[in-house]
Amino acid sequence: MELDIALKQDELWGPSSKLSGRVLRLRDEYFNIEKRDYFKNEIMPFTTGAKWDTVWSPNAWGVVPDLLPFHKAFMETLLLAAKKVELPEGFWEKPHIVRVAIFFSEVVTKYLPVKILDGELIVGSYFNTALSRLHNEKEAKRWKKLTKRWLKEMDFLNSHGMGNAGATPGHIIPDYPRVLKIGFKGLVEYFKKLKEKAENHQHRDFLEALIICCEATRDFAERYAVEAERMAKECSVEERSQELKEIARICRKVPWEPAESFHEAVQSLWFTHMLVMVQESYPGPGLSPGRIDQYLYPYYKKDVIEGSVSRDYAKELLECFWIKPNYAYDFIYRVGRNKGITSGYGQLVTIGGIGPEGEDASNELTWLILEVIEEMNLLEPKPNVRLHKNTPDDLLTRVCEMVAKAQGSPFLINFDEQSIEGLRWQGLPEDALWDYAPVGCLENTLQGNDRSGTVDVNVNLAKAVELTLFDGKDLETGDRLGPRTGDPTNFETWEDFKTGFETQLKSLLMRFIEFYNFCDTLRSSLEPTPYLSSIVRGCAESGRDVTAGGCEHNYVTVEGVAFATAVDSLIAIKKLIFEDRVLSMAELISAIKDNFEGHEKIRQILINKAPKYGNDDDYADEMARYLSRLWTEEVFKHKTPTGRRYRGGYLSWNYWIAYAPLTAATPDGRKRGRFLSNGICPVDGTDKKGPTAIALSISKLGLESAPNGDSHTISFNPSLFRGSGRIEKLMSYLRSYCEKGGTAIQINMIDPQTLRMAQQNPSDYQNLLVRVTGYNAYFVMLGKEIQDEIIARESHCL
Amino acid sequence: MKSSPENRIACEILAGNAPQKGTIFNIQRFSIDDGPGIRTTVFMKGCPLRCVWCHNPEGIKREPQLMWFDVRCIGDMECVEACPKSALDLRPGGMVIDRSVCDSCGLCVVACPSGALELVGKVLSTLEVLEEVKRDEVFYKNSNGGVTVSGGEPAVQPDFVLELLLLCKDSKMHTALDTSAYCSADVFKTLADASDMVLLDLKTMDDEKHLEYTGVSLKPILNNARYLADSRKRTWIRTPIIPGYTDESENIADLGHFVKEEMGFVERWDLLAFNNACESKYDRLDLEWKLKGVASLDSSVMEELVALARKHSGVDVHWSGPTRARMKD
Repeated sequence: MELDIALKQDELWGPSSKLSGRVLRLRDEYFNIEKRDYFKNEIMPFTTGAKWDTVWSPNAWGVVPDLLPFHKAFMETLLLAAKKVELPEGFWEKPHIVRVAIFFSEVVTKYLPVKILDGELIVGSYFNTALSRLHNEKEAKRWKKLTKRWLKEMDFLNSHGMGNAGATPGHIIPDYPRVLKIGFKGLVEYFKKLKEKAENHQHRDFLEALIICCEATRDFAERYAVEAERMAKECSVEERSQELKEIARICRKVPWEPAESFHEAVQSLWFTHMLVMVQESYPGPGLSPGRIDQYLYPYYKKDVIEGSVSRDYAKELLECFWIKPNYAYDFIYRVGRNKGITSGYGQLVTIGGIGPEGEDASNELTWLILEVIEEMNLLEPKPNVRLHKNTPDDLLTRVCEMVAKAQGSPFLINFDEQSIEGLRWQGLPEDALWDYAPVGCLENTLQGNDRSGTVDVNVNLAKAVELTLFDGKDLETGDRLGPRTGDPTNFETWEDFKTGFETQLKSLLMRFIEFYNFCDTLRSSLEPTPYLSSIVRGCAESGRDVTAGGCEHNYVTVEGVAFATAVDSLIAIKKLIFEDRVLSMAELISAIKDNFEGHEKIRQILINKAPKYGNDDDYADEMARYLSRLWTEEVFKHKTPTGRRYRGGYLSWNYWIAYAPLTAATPDGRKRGRFLSNGICPVDGTDKKGPTAIALSISKLGLESAPNGDSHTISFNPSLFRGSGRIEKLMSYLRSYCEKGGTAIQINMIDPQTLRMAQQNPSDYQNLLVRVTGYNAYFVMLGKEIQDEIIARESHCL
Repeated sequence: MKSSPENRIACEILAGNAPQKGTIFNIQRFSIDDGPGIRTTVFMKGCPLRCVWCHNPEGIKREPQLMWFDVRCIGDMECVEACPKSALDLRPGGMVIDRSVCDSCGLCVVACPSGALELVGKVLSTLEVLEEVKRDEVFYKNSNGGVTVSGGEPAVQPDFVLELLLLCKDSKMHTALDTSAYCSADVFKTLADASDMVLLDLKTMDDEKHLEYTGVSLKPILNNARYLADSRKRTWIRTPIIPGYTDESENIADLGHFVKEEMGFVERWDLLAFNNACESKYDRLDLEWKLKGVASLDSSVMEELVALARKHSGVDVHWSGPTRARMKD
């Protein structure tokens, strides 16, 4: 997931003039939600009608703590507004999992409205739901009791800035290629065979639920076929009428039957994907299609390269598909599209990367998709490019050109070598590693069989520093959050402090592990998702739902938040208090208690006299490695009761902002309220040696022990890479980054607005490089007049 | 059995001979404008030229100099107390450094908690610099980049620069010498021979103007430039385009002519558009910036000069630098 603060969507996300009239109209239609009174994909609640029913689960939204104050209202208002679904005879006698399946089937085959938009070639419109959790009275009682407990603990953890957790939906790549290949019909046949051999009734019930869900997809698609036929009859434009007839034919076929053409494959993919969002009642965060240039390629090859379908038509199909995931944003149309809670949903598609023998796997479709990404210029689906040491130069050039001219970051760039190394460290099977793909923002998983709970636990590492300084207590409230590790003014050596810190960190981690175990149990026992389980390998065979550790690979990721803030704090303590002895612990604690008010000199010493992570400084980077290995190896020691192993990662979503006021001033000189560090990035403004030094600092962390992937965003002025020979320099930077062992990078091109911000708040932008004749300069070190000129000037190849 | 000069230097230092020491005012990594690829540029302190438009005034003086950054100062006064020469006086208008007594000992820099005082110019050994530039080796390798020795004027510290170039070469790093070529023929020959390529600054072909603008004669520069041609050295030319000084078409035509007729191995020529970015540096050094208020060039002027330069020199010409937005009709 990714935060977009105050999106200026219309300015930032302009379409290309190359789009066809059809696609441009569809794209505009999506953005014009106010004028779209005939179709809004807003949240649609459905209930069993039972008075104890629930259609909203706070646990699913644990990692969006901004919603904590609203859960009660959501639960109540959505239930009130929910449409009652007629239930078949004997419904309540069925096991819970079967009830969930039947309800899903009833909703998608009878209740969920069907809408085909004017001109679209890929259909499937309404998918934002709030489905009943299908509890009987006893289950509902238990769910409510547990949820109450959940809300209490979650509120405590979050309000003290310790972190957050929740059993988050999505964040998985379902086995879409299998659906394309054998259709849901093939899955049903397979499940029926398994059912005959199943040894107990729980397994048989579970398979029964999967079969019901799979069959529902056929009847759901049939409704689109009927609608397309109806529209075709009424349509006076012959060409569109023909298109609608073709859509009807395809909807009657996929996703039930195997897809045979490119159009069928893309349609099958979208139906299969959108129904996951329907079932999970979650607008897609992290639900990722994976390597589409690989598994759609056989269809593309057959139709376009060897057949008679034009490349332009295939592109239009992809572009029609491209708009679809964006409709997830209609979900928050009323609750806050413009209220700052706007977040990117991260339905991540992956292109490029290696094949099974380590060879480059890019193909014509990879290139076509790059064109689609460029021309559509949309928030979703989020594009990821996998690079590796044999990525062809022309492909890398194309990617770099797109990066260089973009405002914002058009891509996640993922590096195969280090990403695979992490998955290997984690213990995933060697022969499957090449085919990994990230979900959400950048979280690496295998495809089709791996739920790794990639954003489910987020822990504020800087909080452990605060707790060590205050003997386990929160500075602001005085509440006890960790064990007593002693008054640090009595610590005589760095080792003493380190021991205290490790105790606090482990205790903080344990509190989250216990809490997440609770989240996991709550979901796995009371909120199964059999439709999703039907398309994730391992569930049918094991008889366990995807929420209950049923798939082949099961992990839970614990994301370390504020990594660099914690690292720089530890460095300052070690160096200035215990080594150079220029400050005493008492002085530091007193300054932090006062949030550095009246202690500016101490703050400046902390900022200027201790090295900082991100500068290729071995002293600082050794501390960073120490913390990273300590954290990730500790995390990896634990498992949930459902058998999911915990693993580490570094992704801070918006918590580096949210927890800033809840984290006391830190020994790196940061005042309470100043943002914490983001992902694996250095603290803003402290990386003064430029992009090569940052890359090398990161390479020293030993990131294989954080297999989830590690968020690194780097910012450049767009002018850096304009002009002849510049793109090659960006390319070689990325090749070197890949070689030295980064896992993922996002490149920001900084626009004039940011430069203006930098001018006003120079200390926050000390690392902002701009190019001035003959050399690169740090923007904030230039005089005001030249800053003005740089902001105002026409950037040629500067 | 190796007996190349670079290897000999490396062996001698390993054998205990003290490495050369030099004064350096910056080591800038990720330099993407000082030669091919991604490079680290080592800026040597000291320059015999006094170009009116000098963009690195902190590189002129050979000795380290103290700089005060107003935005960083918190008025703590530790520096004033720390100075054994009483050279510092923090007044309401800012820090006054008595440069006649300041000997750049650096005690104030250590004392200042907020990093508001910096010593421009550090004395480092070739091995220390080598260690620093080696850090980005992977980037050089992937970009065909390397190390650029610039200044100031590197030829002011020839022994240090020669040893550094040879050590880089011994470590298989590509080297470039960025020079005004204002030095003796012997020194120039030695340094150019030790570098993989030379970035040569040429400003004007008029000897009188050269003397007026830069304070030195053009003659030794042209002689040294001819040596690059004779020795078939890979060469890039760089010309600052300064309004009222070097921006006349005639000047570019003359330079182009020289490049074509007398320098056979020029691979590329860069025209660098004037900018005012260095003004704050002049303030910090208590120096006067003579081009205050001079406006940037129009991008169309740069385009024209590039076309002209290309026509007369026959080489690959590029321009870079900030320009004024072109007025639209």
